[in-house]
Amino acid sequence: MALIRNPTQSMAGSLWRGIFLAFIICISAACALTANAQTFNEPDFAAARVNAEKTFKTNIAPFLSTYCIDCHGDKKRKGGITFRAALKNPSASSLRKQWKVAATTVKAHDMPPDDAAKQPSEEESKMFVDWVATTKFLSPKDPGIFEIRRLNKEEYRNTLHDLLGAPLDIANALPEEVFGAGYLNSFSPLLMEQYMSIANNVLSRVLAPEDEPPNPLEKKLFGEQPSSGADPKEAARKVAHTLARSAYRRPASEAEVDVLLGVFDLANKNGRSYASSLRLMLKAILVSPQFLFITPEGDTPTDTDIVPLDDYQLASRISYLLWSSPPDQQLAALADNGTLHEPQILKTQVARLLNDPRSRALFDGFGAQWLGIDKLASKPFDSAKFPEMNDTLRAAMAEEARLFFESIVKDNLNVVTFIDADYTYLNETLAHIYGLGKEITGTQMRKIHLKDANRGGILGMPGVLANTSFPNRTSPVNRGVWVLEQVLGEHVPPAPPNVPALEKQNKTDIANLTLRQRTELHRANATCANCHKILDPIGFGLENFDAIGRWRNQDDSGGAIDAVGQLPGDKKFSSPKELKSILATRNEDLCRNLTEKLLAYALGRQLEGYDEIVVDQLTDAIKKDGYRMQTLITQVVLSYPFTHRRIQEQEGVSNGKKLVN
Amino acid sequence: MEKNWLIDRRTCLRGLGASLALPLLETMGWAEQPKATPYKPPVRLGFMYMPHGVIMDQFWPENSESYLSTPPPCLEPLRHVLNQCLMMKGISGIPINPLGGAPHALELSTWLTASLPDANRRNQIHIAISADQIAANYIGGYTTLPSLELATMPQTHKENQEGLNEAYYSHCSFRSATQPVPAETSPRNVLNRLFKNGSLGQVNLRTGKAATPDPLERGLLDLVLGGAKDLRKKLSYNDQHKLDEYLDSVRSLERRIAAIEFRQKEAALEAAGVSIAKRYASDSPPIEIKMPTGDKRSEYMQVMCDLTVLAFQTDTTRVSTYIGSTPNGVSYPELGFTDLHHSATHHNNEPDKVDKVAKITTFNVAQFAYMIKKMHSLKEGDGTLLDNCIMMWGSGLEDGNKHSRENLPFIIAGRGGGSIKTGRFLTESQGNQGDLLTTLLTCAGIPLERPVGIATKQLPEMMNVS
Repeated sequence: MALIRNPTQSMAGSLWRGIFLAFIICISAACALTANAQTFNEPDFAAARVNAEKTFKTNIAPFLSTYCIDCHGDKKRKGGITFRAALKNPSASSLRKQWKVAATTVKAHDMPPDDAAKQPSEEESKMFVDWVATTKFLSPKDPGIFEIRRLNKEEYRNTLHDLLGAPLDIANALPEEVFGAGYLNSFSPLLMEQYMSIANNVLSRVLAPEDEPPNPLEKKLFGEQPSSGADPKEAARKVAHTLARSAYRRPASEAEVDVLLGVFDLANKNGRSYASSLRLMLKAILVSPQFLFITPEGDTPTDTDIVPLDDYQLASRISYLLWSSPPDQQLAALADNGTLHEPQILKTQVARLLNDPRSRALFDGFGAQWLGIDKLASKPFDSAKFPEMNDTLRAAMAEEARLFFESIVKDNLNVVTFIDADYTYLNETLAHIYGLGKEITGTQMRKIHLKDANRGGILGMPGVLANTSFPNRTSPVNRGVWVLEQVLGEHVPPAPPNVPALEKQNKTDIANLTLRQRTELHRANATCANCHKILDPIGFGLENFDAIGRWRNQDDSGGAIDAVGQLPGDKKFSSPKELKSILATRNEDLCRNLTEKLLAYALGRQLEGYDEIVVDQLTDAIKKDGYRMQTLITQVVLSYPFTHRRIQEQEGVSNGKKLVN
Repeated sequence: MEKNWLIDRRTCLRGLGASLALPLLETMGWAEQPKATPYKPPVRLGFMYMPHGVIMDQFWPENSESYLSTPPPCLEPLRHVLNQCLMMKGISGIPINPLGGAPHALELSTWLTASLPDANRRNQIHIAISADQIAANYIGGYTTLPSLELATMPQTHKENQEGLNEAYYSHCSFRSATQPVPAETSPRNVLNRLFKNGSLGQVNLRTGKAATPDPLERGLLDLVLGGAKDLRKKLSYNDQHKLDEYLDSVRSLERRIAAIEFRQKEAALEAAGVSIAKRYASDSPPIEIKMPTGDKRSEYMQVMCDLTVLAFQTDTTRVSTYIGSTPNGVSYPELGFTDLHHSATHHNNEPDKVDKVAKITTFNVAQFAYMIKKMHSLKEGDGTLLDNCIMMWGSGLEDGNKHSRENLPFIIAGRGGGSIKTGRFLTESQGNQGDLLTTLLTCAGIPLERPVGIATKQLPEMMNVS
């Protein structure tokens, strides 16, 4: 589990090569892990930890030494894997993935390999797999660090807009952010240059030319010109305090104000007017780290490792999460009062923010990534085969996804609605894809009740179906992986580096086969078959939808679509509708998956170690409240890692290898 | 042929009573040539990337003799300039275990670092400074732009392999172990940045004129930098580390402003009739840049190549890195098919897909060839611009079908000011990509404190040992 923040783990890459054996077991392993979702109070947690440590010593270390270490030790490191480090310190967070892979391969009887001399019994293997599910208890309670965070492009743009009324295209020249585990929180000379340039542009766009009288904004920002005889520096000091409070999103210290006054002085001494000197000061604010980053107020305590966020940081964190914009007056006032962190106040604020139009940022930043919609505009499609797939249609698909996502947030619906909704949002362009082109006219998107239960929800949504297709055809494999990873939160590992090639297919033999029949040829190969028998059926269940989401009864070969499939646990289906109703019963998995993804997005980092316990607790609380979407979001905001931060380097992480130059 | 009178830059400034306390002045380049020796143009270093490897038997020449006479299909675009190029087989990529499941996350990010990400912090960026940035640190101070980073696609590809940070997919330049350098994708922005100081000067929106930077800007940055250092003292260890990236970037901006001011004064001198004579009269005039009008990939890439040529020609920068294409998610509609490059490279020897991969490779080589030929057509000093460049085109995988990295495919063009012996295909080189990068930097005259990445030696067979 512990999926990274990136909600769109792409399946584009290696999957058509075939997915290897271990994958199936992931499903069951993930089930085993989710089954542990229950609330642990501190003593329970401590007891579970002691237990996991004890089991490691008595059972797991001997298991590794007996069955694994010959090939994965100091002498041999087959596949680049060694358990030496794991034997010494099983709780290291860097080992998390290794443990999961080990559990899946052991459970699949992939490891030890068949030709190994010593083979564990069924009970031993089960004991090992069960123990891996308890490794989360080995991690100390840790909120993770909340490194000072550079505002991303969107946030920066909105902040300049809120602060100075700057036009929204002001930051277009900035490079696009790389959204991954959070986004790339890095800085570079190019960025600095651009921030300086944008600061210059903003000032020349929002303030009056230097030789003209001040405009209303200037009057608001800089106040009145001090009367003759008054000390201009004192007046400038007051302006600096006020400007910095909003631009730094926290009160500025006297030292910070002194820096700004230094800039004022520099201009003043070079013969510039009072107003012109303030202008230079404002420019300094716009390129200062306190503006460009979310920074804590006050000094870092030295007597403790973990601290709660100060209320100003918290205000920024919530506001940028839900709005991609800086805290408004109400949030700022609650931070000034020092009451924002109180749970009841936080809850009220989350609800307030979600009901504000600015909360579309949650879709643009999170929802669109989760559903892969953010990639739709630039995804290539074969224009000869799908001439309909133009910018208008792509935009309508994206808009449908946004309105649908927002309806679940705003109406605080059960998250299972993502799968089983009986409504969507369409305009005429998109209605043609649904076969409803005659009934729905005009460019306006509107809510539509769907009579066809094959549609509705993200699985029957054209944007999602298109995103999981190749440019010229559907990909049952991609769709299967997408459903498993993005909807149910299971981990599909990539193919091993040397998957044997499929037997060469005689072109004339396969010419008349449907895509399903061809995909089923994977199963002729035992290595491929083990995984594809789980993966492909889900994709087959959606084969009635073509690569841009239109319903069809025949595929490209002219053969009839066969949407019959079976999932583990003997669950059979024969249409998208039936597949959806099976998946809708897995609402706890869906809820857990969304919680993980949103938490990782909110924290801007991968989940690890203790986070798994947090997700257990959140999932439990959300379940008790009927899996409602606003509860999910509120729980993430209230969570321990969102409201706290570790300020000291964690032991064991700091000794990463030193790299050259 | 009229020969400009060479004037020592420092003498010239002194003569005009210019009292500049510029940090760059002492290292400004040509002026430092001993007076008696003729001006020698600087060596420039460029990189251009294509992901996913090649079709081996259509890329590697059959043998060292056939290299020039009958080059393989993928080298066809370079046919007339192969004597300006050097190819070597036997240079291996860095072994990627224990991150073996991440061939595409690593092909680009290891390309210029010859290093692996820190496996214990895989969700962060933690790798090593890249060869182009090592070069920028050394020769970047001579020019108004330390280095130029370009890309065709936005660096936003999202995919997770082995839990590695997504940015590994799309970045090859790293300023430090933790600082990936973003690349520019808009030709117009690049042009502005290179030649109009557009991003630094205040643009008057009514007149559309780019003004010169505010003369107080450097003073302002000094004060802001001081404030940032105060802030740093109050932060935790991790935060301090993050803020250091900011501090470094502000210092870099200060240097850039200083260099721009210096150039402006130099231009003023020239306008006043004092020739700086950093160029020969015989040097070709700066090339023209035409912005692309349609959405053809080739046109777009050629503009990026032209910008590189122009930046080198005018000595605006001496280091460039162009990510011509990014791993995954890229197709080439211009070639008449929409298959994703990555999907096609897993061809399992199906002729149709093999053919497509070869076409994509040839297409990418053709854009590189466009740039090389242009450089070769421009006169500089006693030879051509290309003579003073070291341009490397390559991929971080050899065979995309198997993700192999035994013989990295790459082409080096240009003689590096006489340091590299071109016109050859070396069939049995032995070394790794770190050795290669180390040797290239040495040929560009960059003194190294330590070799690049996994390097253990230099590759003397590349060099001109006359």
